[in-house]
Amino acid sequence: MKKFWQRGILGLLLTTLFVPAVQADELVVYSGRKDKFIKPLIEKFTAETGIKVLLHSAKSTALLNKLRVEGNRTVADLFLSNDAGNLQIGTELGLFQPIDKNILKVIPANLRANDDTWVGLSARARVLVVNNNAKGLDFIKSVFDLSNPVLKDRLAITHSSNGSFVAGVTVYELSTTTPIVTEWLKGMKENAGGKLFSKHSKIVKAVASGKKDIGLVNHYYIYRHLAKNPDAPISILLPDQQENGMGVAWNVAGVAISKYTKNKAMAQKLISYLVSEKGQKQFAGANSEYPVREGVPAASEVPAAGSYKVADVPMSELGTHRIKTLDLLDQIGMP
Amino acid sequence: MSAADYTLMKEAIWPIRLWQALVRRVGWLGFIATMIVAIAAIPLLFVIYSSGQLSLSGWQALWSERLPGLMWNTLSLAVLVAIGSFILGVSSAWLIARRHFVGRKLAIWLMILPLAIPTYVFAHIYTTLFEDDGWIGKMWLGIFGDSVAIPDLYNVGGVAFILSIAGFSYVFLLVRSALEHSNPSLEEAARIQGLSPSAVFWRVNLPLLRPAIAAGLALVVLHVLSDFGAVSMLRYQTFTLSIYLQMNGRFDYQSAAGLSMVLVFLSLSFLVFERWSRSRQRYYASATQLRRASLRNASVFEQAMIWLWLGMITLFAFVLPIMWMIDWSLNAWQAGLLDITFWGYVSNSLIVAAAAATLAIFAAFPVAFFHTRKHSPLSNTYIQLSSIGFVLPGPVIALGVLSFILAVLAPLYGGLAALLMALVVRFLPLAVQSQEAALQHLTPSIEQAGRILGAAPFENLRRVVLPMISNGMIVAWVLVFIDALKELPATLILRPTGFDTLPVRIWIEASEESLELAAPAALMLVVGTLPALWLMMRNEKQSIIKG
Repeated sequence: MKKFWQRGILGLLLTTLFVPAVQADELVVYSGRKDKFIKPLIEKFTAETGIKVLLHSAKSTALLNKLRVEGNRTVADLFLSNDAGNLQIGTELGLFQPIDKNILKVIPANLRANDDTWVGLSARARVLVVNNNAKGLDFIKSVFDLSNPVLKDRLAITHSSNGSFVAGVTVYELSTTTPIVTEWLKGMKENAGGKLFSKHSKIVKAVASGKKDIGLVNHYYIYRHLAKNPDAPISILLPDQQENGMGVAWNVAGVAISKYTKNKAMAQKLISYLVSEKGQKQFAGANSEYPVREGVPAASEVPAAGSYKVADVPMSELGTHRIKTLDLLDQIGMP
Repeated sequence: MSAADYTLMKEAIWPIRLWQALVRRVGWLGFIATMIVAIAAIPLLFVIYSSGQLSLSGWQALWSERLPGLMWNTLSLAVLVAIGSFILGVSSAWLIARRHFVGRKLAIWLMILPLAIPTYVFAHIYTTLFEDDGWIGKMWLGIFGDSVAIPDLYNVGGVAFILSIAGFSYVFLLVRSALEHSNPSLEEAARIQGLSPSAVFWRVNLPLLRPAIAAGLALVVLHVLSDFGAVSMLRYQTFTLSIYLQMNGRFDYQSAAGLSMVLVFLSLSFLVFERWSRSRQRYYASATQLRRASLRNASVFEQAMIWLWLGMITLFAFVLPIMWMIDWSLNAWQAGLLDITFWGYVSNSLIVAAAAATLAIFAAFPVAFFHTRKHSPLSNTYIQLSSIGFVLPGPVIALGVLSFILAVLAPLYGGLAALLMALVVRFLPLAVQSQEAALQHLTPSIEQAGRILGAAPFENLRRVVLPMISNGMIVAWVLVFIDALKELPATLILRPTGFDTLPVRIWIEASEESLELAAPAALMLVVGTLPALWLMMRNEKQSIIKG
């Protein structure tokens, strides 16, 4: 019995050791986007084109590390991330190659890389979620008002290691000045009172239940909560829309082609599909995000793009400036 | 071999010379052990190399800004978890090994079952349970109302709670086994001399148990130092989490390697201290010992108290989590989410864990055997070096192995080789420790008797040594299997493309907050561990009958 086991395992080992998992005619996508958002879309793409796609999901940053260490040994053809910062850092590490301009031109220039090495696919807005029954919040017009001591123990924010939080801080820093942002972070740290949230969805839940009055989140978490609890007493507040306001911070999810792919033509086919009108609707619609192709509307419940002011920061800056933001957060000791 | 060939070989290039010298000096056993230790040390070499590239100012920045806080966070957590595991593990082991009560066999199982649940699952479940609308949260509000806030798990207390209930089983296993194998005559002699039962525990049992307790706590503390799952879910900055964030947020390998160096130093000094404190005392069970300690029957009141205590432990360490998993798994099952891909994850996990465990016990044997035979400074160094896997964080091991394979064994890349290598390196110390423990029980005279009776070294090994330590081998296999099945950080990085295991799925689904998909995966992890645990327990029983 023992021998049988030993031999069986040895045999299995030998086969698995030497058989790579990837087939040649298959596109490999290192995906940092949630499986359930991207999978249906990929399945439609395969059905239409006959190109098989293998999704390798993990955290975007971990996948970027993997790409970097693998170098020319990588099997990845594409890299998909929820954060423009990660895409830009990949560009700076020289992991990607330019995508055909004809495919990219339908996407606004500030939502893709300067050197065409990555392209945004969907956008999300950093907004405020407010409890409808909370009193005395009328003064809040800007995210910077969140540092007001009036909000002591009433404010919900995520830990500063959250990628969306970091990206938001970067946008605010680039739109204003470092001292303003420093003071703001210190005030928020005080207001959060040591109770920080690990997830955006928990912030929305806490605001809906009245445990907190206001929170800083990505817009789609509000609609996700409302879809499950239509009567939840929460509403969205678009910050920084005053006359001289900097506008709402955006971030994009996007895709890049690995420098070492052997399937560039197929990879570009997938990207063309993702930026097509149909692909855009599905990609963004899966998560109530904004399609980035002009002329493709977002879901009806979401405030229409163009109906409000968006901070004028090119998405690539989210990568180039990230280390500085992290240093600032460390220096303040933001939890 | 002709004389000409022989001279040719003598003049051969230096690797062969080195090899010859090595074999001559340490023997074949030592040579194999050397090779294995060399592989196990690869991640350490990677860390030394990367941290060597860290500039002086980089070191200074680490030293002044990060280290004090990290050191305090990590050490205070380790102490708290050690205390928690000591209380839970020693008390339950003593009760079960020394008292006869209804459901004692069940109690043994309940105390080791928490091993089946990974720390990140514990962390995830308890954060959910402690929310306002979680089971514990609701109960809390029902009892205390809004006057007392629900305890927050995102601090050292919360992490220590999670890691204690996840780790005390190691202490329980080792202490209970030591109690059952200890010579009852010593306790009886103490009783006859007039010591009270509690004095017997403090003055006879506890000193005799020191090696077992130390080994158990060492395992627990090493798990704490290398834990990634719970600390990352609960955002508690220990070395491991900080190293991960350096690598992943900032892509700063050098600082990550610098922090790893400090962690390695910390863990190794802990290990050396632990071994030193154990080396001053060695107990051999006498070869003629046949009698086992008799269990005292517990009175009804005592039984109730015993079950109250054990029941409370098992409620938090196993029953609540498993009920939560079953509850959400039922939801998933009803929603038809458990399709063929899900069972694919299950089989992937089992294959990887079984292969890693098998490789690990084969790799561990020469190292452990070499040390028991020689007890030389060299063999001791080998033991320390083979512990590297336990003291380095999983993500660092993964990157070290990845860099090595890409540089040296590139054709192997893409299959399971890299992942298995990382898992073996990571869990080699578990296998070495339990085999060494088994080998230590082997009184040297038994092996000498075999040799005197004419058995050649290899025959002696096969017919005397291996059968006698087969229990230790099986325990080693099971321990590695369980840990490999739960392993997350290295698997996340090194799994072949598109090859998802249960931990990977739990990680992905839990971070997407799809509880109905994370729960069945966690449940399958527990179910997958059961046969391994059963194997270990059954074996133990057989040895009792034989012994």
